[in-house]
Amino acid sequence: MELLITIGVIVAKLTCIFGFVVTLAALTTLAERKVSAWIQFRHGPNRVGPGGLLQPLADGIKFIFKEELVPKHANKIMFLIAPSLAAMPAMMGIAVIPFAAESPFYQDSGPLAIAQLDISVLYVLAFGGLSIYGVILGGWASNSKFSLLGALRASAQMISYELSLILSVMSIVVMTGSLDLVVIATEQGSNVLNWNIVKQPLAFLLFLVATFAETNRHPFDFAECEPELVGGFHTEYSAMRFALFFLGEYCAIIVMCALTVTFFLGGFAVPFWEAAPWFVQVGAFIAKLCFFLFLFIWVRWTLPRFRFDQLMALGWKRFLPLALANLFVTGGLVALGWY
Amino acid sequence: MVIVKRKELSLSEKLYFPEIMRGLSMTFRAMFKKRVTRQYPEEPLPTNEVTRGQPRLAVNDDDTIRCVSCGLCEIACPAYAITIDGQETDRFIEREPERFDIDMLRCILCGFCEEACPKDAILMSDELELADFSREALVYDIEMLKRPVSKLRPRIDYVYKVNERW
Repeated sequence: MELLITIGVIVAKLTCIFGFVVTLAALTTLAERKVSAWIQFRHGPNRVGPGGLLQPLADGIKFIFKEELVPKHANKIMFLIAPSLAAMPAMMGIAVIPFAAESPFYQDSGPLAIAQLDISVLYVLAFGGLSIYGVILGGWASNSKFSLLGALRASAQMISYELSLILSVMSIVVMTGSLDLVVIATEQGSNVLNWNIVKQPLAFLLFLVATFAETNRHPFDFAECEPELVGGFHTEYSAMRFALFFLGEYCAIIVMCALTVTFFLGGFAVPFWEAAPWFVQVGAFIAKLCFFLFLFIWVRWTLPRFRFDQLMALGWKRFLPLALANLFVTGGLVALGWY
Repeated sequence: MVIVKRKELSLSEKLYFPEIMRGLSMTFRAMFKKRVTRQYPEEPLPTNEVTRGQPRLAVNDDDTIRCVSCGLCEIACPAYAITIDGQETDRFIEREPERFDIDMLRCILCGFCEEACPKDAILMSDELELADFSREALVYDIEMLKRPVSKLRPRIDYVYKVNERW
């Protein structure tokens, strides 16, 4: 009986959180189109459902019923599994993100997260690093020059920016002394001045920019930069497999935004309300999350795409030294006991 | 040869970050500007007598058609969109069309039929929308083409005004 309840709680949490994330990913595609339209003085999709709210559903149905093409010269097995390899790690990352300090589920202790790991930072970053495999495989297996070029660029870029991403997180880890996202979130508490965005502004900035590069978003979207590479690594993909790449991309964005919130904005903490009930905490988390999702779209229409050498120079010559210096200074301050 | 001197960047511009902020604020303000897209079916295109829409046949106030089936528009039509069969009538004008078809899929909206017509019977209306599920449905017959002359009056006046120049 005890076991059944435990399994039931786990399944319920899985359903709620994954359902939420996939729905949010679908809504983000709508938001992407809507916000893009507004910035360009357009209306955006507004025909399907009230205000275009059912547009993602219509898109999904369309994707499912489209014909799936596999190029003749493609490596078929790799070609077919690449989209799932791209989407899966992105979704796995959400498992350790804490949405609230107290789980509302029956007989469930600890924070509202699917899994509670002591090394959840490591887990998330490891899965973030894995997601590149789907992109590389997809690009390589398509056997098309544009796909391969896109995949090559994506891998080079992700490796370069993962360094500064992880280094900027490390300064937080050094400060908190824990690799647990829950601890990192609770340490910051509800006092806004205690949040890591105030304590570590440089790390925040580096992390934020690195997440843009990590998720292949503007202004670093070299993996799929349309004017040069047609569609990048997913040029040859069609129907639901293409949609899977998209879903993975948006899930990765959501995970990265959730990480930014957890690392730098106190996670589920409600400003100036220490003992907030769980649903207020979830609401606060989602509000912060949505702001960063909006920022991703907002930046897309503000900054032009970098040149590839500029991207690499920025990554290796500016961000890496800055992140290292930040880590050293933080480490020194922690060693001196000033934090 | 013109040598363009590169603009010397200030420190805040070199740092890039303040400039990003400026750009972000600009795009944010753009979100609340007036939208320029026309929501078409709800907000139809503005039309006036100069609009050269689909050709229509004028019907007099006493419900008689103006066309005398002379066939000039049929000959003037560069796309062979018009088909006319005439018949006799007891009215003073003696002739009227028995059949007057315009294949709307062929029609190129050039207005030659309107120019050719000696009776101001065929006129370019302000109707622009054209959609159906079959080709056959888009061959308009005489009943579908009839419009009261009062509706086409501005167009007639406009055509006369323009032709006064010659």
